[in-house]
Amino acid sequence: MSGVLLEVENYSGAFWSPTNELVPVLHQVSYRLKTGAMTAVVGETGSGKSLVALSIFGIQPAAFVCTSGRILYRDTDLLGIDEKEMRSLRGAEISMVFQDARAALNPVFTVGRQLADVYQLQHGGGRSAAMAKAIEALRQVSIPEPERRARQYPHEFSGGMAQRAMIAMAALTCRPSLLILDEPTTGLDVTIQSDIMELIVELSRQRGLTTCLITHDLGVVAEICDEVVVMNAGRVVETGTTEAIFTAPTETYTRRLLAASQLLEAAA
Amino acid sequence: MSFVNMSVGDAILQVRDLHKIFPVEGGRRLVAVDGVDLDVAAGETLALVGESGSGKSTVARCIVRLIEPSGGEVTIDGTAIVPLPTKRLAGIYRRIQMVFQDPNASLNPRMNVRQVLDEPLRLHLALSGAERAGRVRELVEMVGLTPAHLERYPHELSGGQRQRVGIARAIAVSPDIVILDEPTSSLDVSVRGQILGLLLDLQQRLGLAYLFISHDLQVVQHVADRVAVMYLGSIVETGPVADVFRDPRHPYTRALLSAAPVAQWGVKRTRVRLAGEIASAIDPPDACRLVGRCPMAQPSCSAGKPSLIDLGQAHAVACPVVVDRPT
Ligand SMILES: Nc1ncnc2c1ncn2[C@@H]1O[C@H](COP(=O)(O)OP(=O)(O)OP(=O)(O)O)[C@@H](O)[C@H]1O
Ligand SMILES: Nc1ncnc2c1ncn2[C@@H]1O[C@H](COP(=O)(O)OP(=O)(O)OP(=O)(O)O)[C@@H](O)[C@H]1O
Ligand SMILES: [Mg+2]
Ligand SMILES: [Mg+2]
Repeated sequence: MSGVLLEVENYSGAFWSPTNELVPVLHQVSYRLKTGAMTAVVGETGSGKSLVALSIFGIQPAAFVCTSGRILYRDTDLLGIDEKEMRSLRGAEISMVFQDARAALNPVFTVGRQLADVYQLQHGGGRSAAMAKAIEALRQVSIPEPERRARQYPHEFSGGMAQRAMIAMAALTCRPSLLILDEPTTGLDVTIQSDIMELIVELSRQRGLTTCLITHDLGVVAEICDEVVVMNAGRVVETGTTEAIFTAPTETYTRRLLAASQLLEAAA
Repeated sequence: MSFVNMSVGDAILQVRDLHKIFPVEGGRRLVAVDGVDLDVAAGETLALVGESGSGKSTVARCIVRLIEPSGGEVTIDGTAIVPLPTKRLAGIYRRIQMVFQDPNASLNPRMNVRQVLDEPLRLHLALSGAERAGRVRELVEMVGLTPAHLERYPHELSGGQRQRVGIARAIAVSPDIVILDEPTSSLDVSVRGQILGLLLDLQQRLGLAYLFISHDLQVVQHVADRVAVMYLGSIVETGPVADVFRDPRHPYTRALLSAAPVAQWGVKRTRVRLAGEIASAIDPPDACRLVGRCPMAQPSCSAGKPSLIDLGQAHAVACPVVVDRPT
């Protein structure tokens, strides 16, 4: 269980500015995702958490240029493979829930159809079997009346329901080895959030799923994550086990981050 | 019933018996909002919390008339905006503004940050070009961005940066009340602290009122004066934040409060769990919406939807069972 499934190694990159200059945003980012573990990536907004995740998934923005580094997935450098190879990994091996769930769903197809399409693509089989799987997945993420909800379009879902549909797609319809969750539960009330996190923890145990959870919610991190990566301004400032990060942080930035969340708690 | 919602002072925003029904296939009705009353006093923050899909965003969108309510009344400082012909709404938007749950979808992808912030100033305020440019710079700085961000387009910003642009746009025209739909959900704790500080500061300086929709109970406790808890289209509990958090009465409120994780190592919480599947808002029966899931349910809970019962001190709960059986 202590193997490493994915390793980001000295990953640096920059954006082309409107004035055609390269503006660096990621600086020698390195972190590891241990097989079967749940790793949190935390840090301030704009620190590059999503950008690294998008790079792992092979969909970094067009204006982004990688200037150094490797992203090793089971010894394959994801930065070195072509789009066709990447496509065969997406969904089957690596799956992602995006920060903005509603925008990630296609507005012109029903939610059920999108889930069923993904299922068929991954597992083959007939149309109605795929739809049955889609409905089952929606049920597992606590969507009421999933049969009927499956026939609705994304705009008919509340923000939190769209997010749950994305989680159903990434974690259940697909059967990935690596699941990247970019703020998966921010739009959810805490009861459903807890249910979903429990579902993800259960999936990781059952299937040995490796998860990377990008979140601002340090409460969730303390409760369910094994490892933590702290990022600030395009750099990894500290990594460690959750216990170490929470009880003995070594970097000032980590301490500030923890203090800020506990302050809010104390004030509350 | 509405008196229990009433806060001290004059209500700047008053919502009465708001309904929104979405027709769905097979001639059935999805009752997203089912008779909601709200009052927000000038300078006050009312938090609206509740289950995902319970109708919070729909309430907000009805208030600003992004969608047409199916029934009810909304007044801003005594002026009715629901019902009101759409063409007479323009002047109202100076007074009420909204920050959307989904900053991605609410920012025009073809406008850069400067244009996004300039637009409301141009539409609602009589300012010179130079004054507007100054105000735009002031606004980006207020929300913790830099003038360099002004030339960026929404896709060139991180999730949290986009959300700050949404807040800057809403406060641009100095409204009386701002509806904030999950304004801090994708911000890290330090920026979240800054934004909340900013919102509180603006409230004090400008007497702004907020209707604050959030899933983050810590934030709610930190910023709100009163809280209203929604479950499947209705408000099930309302009261001063301190009272509701200290002594939640409705079974849904209790489940909700007990589920919040704590940002400390080794803290274990005891969750009050609701059984079964979340009920559907489609053609709901005339009964308490929590009935299939509630640990305290009685046969009487299936006979009619309970309305809010005053517990005194502006605290009210829509559950006769807990009122009859005090803890
Ligand atoms: N297309 C783009 N062009 C220029 N800069 C960009 C672009 N996309 C992102 N950036 C910048 O890259 C940096 C990293 O962004 P990223 O989305 O990874 O942040 P994040 O850590 O996920 O933040 P958040 O917590 O707010 O989601 C940010 O400063 C952002 O402004
Ligand atoms: N345009 C629409 N057409 C049909 N149904 C809709 C539409 N918009 C919302 N709904 C439904 O109305 C109900 C309430 O949705 P709403 O978005 O108000 O919930 P919410 O409380 O804001 O949830 P969340 O916390 O997940 O954002 C949901 O059942 C949703 O599916
Ligand atoms: Mg991000
Ligand atoms: Mg909503």
